[in-house]
Amino acid sequence: MSAIRKNTWFMACLYVLVFFLLAEWLTPVMTLTSTGHKTLFLVFIVLGLLMALFKVPWIISGPVKLLYILWFIVHVYTDSFFFSKDAMVFVWADLQVNMEALFSQNWAQTTDIFRTVLFFALLWMAVYLIHYWVSFRLSIFLFYFLTVLFIAVLDTFSPYTGNTAIIRIMVIGLLLAGLLHLARWTERHHIELSGDKIAASVIPLFLAIAGTTAVALYLPKSGPVWPDPVPYITSFSNQAGSGTGGNSVGRIGYGVDDSQLGGSFIGDSSPVFTAEVDDGQYWKVESKDIYTSKGWELTENVGEVAVYENGEFIKTDFIPGESEEEDNALISMDQDFPFVLYPYGTESILMDAAPNYQYDAADQRIETFQQGNVFEPQVYEISYSEPTFSLTALRATAPEKLAELPAAFDRFLQLPDELPQRVRDLALEITSTSTTVYDKTRAVERYFSNGSFEYSQQDIPVPEDGQDYVDQFLFETQRGYCDNFSTSMVVLLRSLDIPARWVKGFNEGELLETEGTRDIYQITNNNAHSWVEAYMPGVGWMLFEPTIGFTGSSEVEFDVEVDASDPVEREQPERPNPIEEEDDSTAGAGEEANGPDFWDRASDIWDENKAKILWALGGLLVLAGILYKIRQKWLPKVLIPYYRNRGESASTFEKAYLRLLKQLELYGIKRREGQTLKSYASYIDSFFGTSDMTRLTRAYEQAVYGGNPESVDWNELKESWENLINRTSG
Amino acid sequence: MDAKDRLNAVIDNIEKVIIGKRNIAELSIVAMLSHGHVLLEDVPGVGKTMLVRALAKSVGADFKRIQFTPDLLPSDVIGVSIYNPKDMEFHFRPGPIMGNIVLADEINRTSPKTQSSLLEAMEEASVTIDGVTMTIPKPFFVMATQNPIEYEGTYPLPEAQLDRFLLKVKMGYPSSKEEVEVLSRSQLSVPIDELEAVISLEELLQLQEEAKKIKVEDSIKSYIVDLSRQTRIDPYVYLGVSPRGSIALMKASQAYAMLKGRNYVTPDDVQYLAKSVFGHRIMLRSEARYDGITAEEITDRILAKTRVPVQRLVGQ
Repeated sequence: MSAIRKNTWFMACLYVLVFFLLAEWLTPVMTLTSTGHKTLFLVFIVLGLLMALFKVPWIISGPVKLLYILWFIVHVYTDSFFFSKDAMVFVWADLQVNMEALFSQNWAQTTDIFRTVLFFALLWMAVYLIHYWVSFRLSIFLFYFLTVLFIAVLDTFSPYTGNTAIIRIMVIGLLLAGLLHLARWTERHHIELSGDKIAASVIPLFLAIAGTTAVALYLPKSGPVWPDPVPYITSFSNQAGSGTGGNSVGRIGYGVDDSQLGGSFIGDSSPVFTAEVDDGQYWKVESKDIYTSKGWELTENVGEVAVYENGEFIKTDFIPGESEEEDNALISMDQDFPFVLYPYGTESILMDAAPNYQYDAADQRIETFQQGNVFEPQVYEISYSEPTFSLTALRATAPEKLAELPAAFDRFLQLPDELPQRVRDLALEITSTSTTVYDKTRAVERYFSNGSFEYSQQDIPVPEDGQDYVDQFLFETQRGYCDNFSTSMVVLLRSLDIPARWVKGFNEGELLETEGTRDIYQITNNNAHSWVEAYMPGVGWMLFEPTIGFTGSSEVEFDVEVDASDPVEREQPERPNPIEEEDDSTAGAGEEANGPDFWDRASDIWDENKAKILWALGGLLVLAGILYKIRQKWLPKVLIPYYRNRGESASTFEKAYLRLLKQLELYGIKRREGQTLKSYASYIDSFFGTSDMTRLTRAYEQAVYGGNPESVDWNELKESWENLINRTSG
Repeated sequence: MDAKDRLNAVIDNIEKVIIGKRNIAELSIVAMLSHGHVLLEDVPGVGKTMLVRALAKSVGADFKRIQFTPDLLPSDVIGVSIYNPKDMEFHFRPGPIMGNIVLADEINRTSPKTQSSLLEAMEEASVTIDGVTMTIPKPFFVMATQNPIEYEGTYPLPEAQLDRFLLKVKMGYPSSKEEVEVLSRSQLSVPIDELEAVISLEELLQLQEEAKKIKVEDSIKSYIVDLSRQTRIDPYVYLGVSPRGSIALMKASQAYAMLKGRNYVTPDDVQYLAKSVFGHRIMLRSEARYDGITAEEITDRILAKTRVPVQRLVGQ
């Protein structure tokens, strides 16, 4: 063991860092399990690490730790600070209870004290393991990696927020890794550093880490690339919801009154309808336009009301996409609604009862009437074609055009006077770098996936008097469900003068089965949802989905790129010619008929997948390059079985020995040109602390220089050879 | 007892009187085993004579010593025929060269003529006087000492003569600890008188024969040749190592391998002996002297850059 491990200051430094790392484990566990007395547990860790640092023999450290655990139990469970007779009696009685429970395998009967002891045992073990890693292996990577994983998982799947913890862990981990690397390095090269030297080599590490951390903290952070997985996952188990509002805990499902949003939800998986479609759709019911700072209301009697016949083209705010892409949806209702649930791009509706459809431009609701009476349809078919939006047009949505919109759009710009200024400021901040209306809207939509928002249906507050629903969500709770997200987006957009409205309906639902190209979805109350429609000047209304974990979106056609540059596309017209020529030549030569077909197909495949093939080839090359570069790591795993199973012939040993020389060279210990095998071998052995290389070399010299290959017993030398080969992969 | 043990017994015996010069003793034995001779280059009083006497005693050999002076004549070395008036015939009185182990002290103090008479005898292992050739008894081993040539009143040995020495060895001063030990030992008695032979002359002759049989793999031979050739193309070198030098290196390596208890030569043997074999065979250009480069340094450089054979030669 070299001096660096004996340097108490250095080791103390390591142990302090380890303590902080262990504390990062302890904190979430204690928070999540509502365990108290964190300090006392931390003291236990400190105790363990201190004794490990000063190499207290186990015969002392063991009893000390046991005594501490006992004291903890007495102190925490009997409230007496010192051991008293009563306390001991209590502990003894508890011990008996637990023993009984254990022996009768009655796990539930074990008491809290028993669990505390188990927890202590766990900590004890953890401290011991880390002590082993740091003092003997001089390596912390595995533990560090596990810590990061642990915090990341907890942060994602539990209420624990690891935002600052992960930074602390990063810093501690880098420091530990740096210090341990230094320790390993000095040991490997048998360098003994004085205390000053160690300090001198450690200070740059500290400075580098402090510098990078400071810069990293200062730099702006981009939002997560993918949505928070938890709501995403739970959305598939039909936990999504939209509000009835009013009560603090509501039942999920479609409701009419949205004037008071907020409050928690409990799930309701009673079916609403089944839809047979090609692809899952968002089913719109209606939209609302007045935001009251508590919820949504509707301006009455503003728009025209149009009446349509069965199968007649219904004009909505969404122009259906191209007709060849027309789809139809078969809806069969389980609950009775006097209106139609319609997908985006709806063209016409067919029902057996042939009612009248009344489309109200105010809330875009399609109500069904039969002879003037409200009619609740059971089964109907909707022809629709998903609207597509041209990216070129969307890129031309200059904010100046907003000012030219007619007065009819004013109701989609309404905001309550008491809306806090910080909401408006936030909207400006989010969209500060966006130039078009579409970009701004997308920026607001994406803002909710920046990682600070959390999807939840539990413990969502109802705004107090004088409190704004959106303001509360954006700045205080940052937790909520679709209503919070969609309402906030509408308000943010409106503060930017972008017309927007709040839409209610249902999301795709749960895929029950697939028949050919047709998917059958079951939509339950859990699928009640709300989202956003915003008006893009020059383009029209578009759907936006701000709620994290939901996948609704408008179909945007990337028509910009085609005009700009697409070499593959442009080459296409020229392509038929060479193929024709080839056809002619092969036909003339009278070769096999398969020939041209095959080359045809091959060249087609090549043309279509040129980029993919090149990428794949490139990837393979890179992979091969990497494999070659790191061959020192994996080659031994191949070589050992190969040479182990080779025959007993004299040349096997010689080949194996030469392979070992190469492997050692890859490992980084190169034999100098004029260095003899013997002196190289003694260097290798002093490096690894073995005598194997000398042993092998002696045998090899006898075989090669002595011209006596038969003298070598490969079986006897195998072990030494494998030992060395294995070391080279380290 | 095998060769290694016997030779080590000789070395241990020498070590009883010469302290801390095991490597010199080893090299002397290596030279003796390969029918070569040693040129010891050092200042007086570091134990050169003692070493040779101890070696001679250990192998039970006849020890002769010639002190070279400027007025020494060839006949003083090889002997002279004296007319005996009684039987009216010339009788040959053998000179000091007719011994098993000869110490030629301060060889560079005498005239070139006398030097060459010694060197001829060394090479031929015989002397010719008045048309009669007389063989020098075997084993025949000369250890010549020379004061470093910077000293005044010396005749440097010509290049061709130097080549006849298998090894050139520098004795060097003992370390202070060793020197203290030398002092304490010399207080008691003259230890050399207590030495006894540990092997016989016959055994030594037999070992010489065995040394010739030590295996030299072809790749090692070509390694030796590579080393020699490198000395010939080195820019600092005026005259490189001759093929005789290559042979010397091979023979010395064989003897050294035997001393180490092996029946084959390894590159380590070659490297170990290269400096002693090449040192006096490399004639440097004056540029080397200006740059302060010695023959030893050139040998080191060549050893460092010449590829050591690690495989059997294929296709030869």
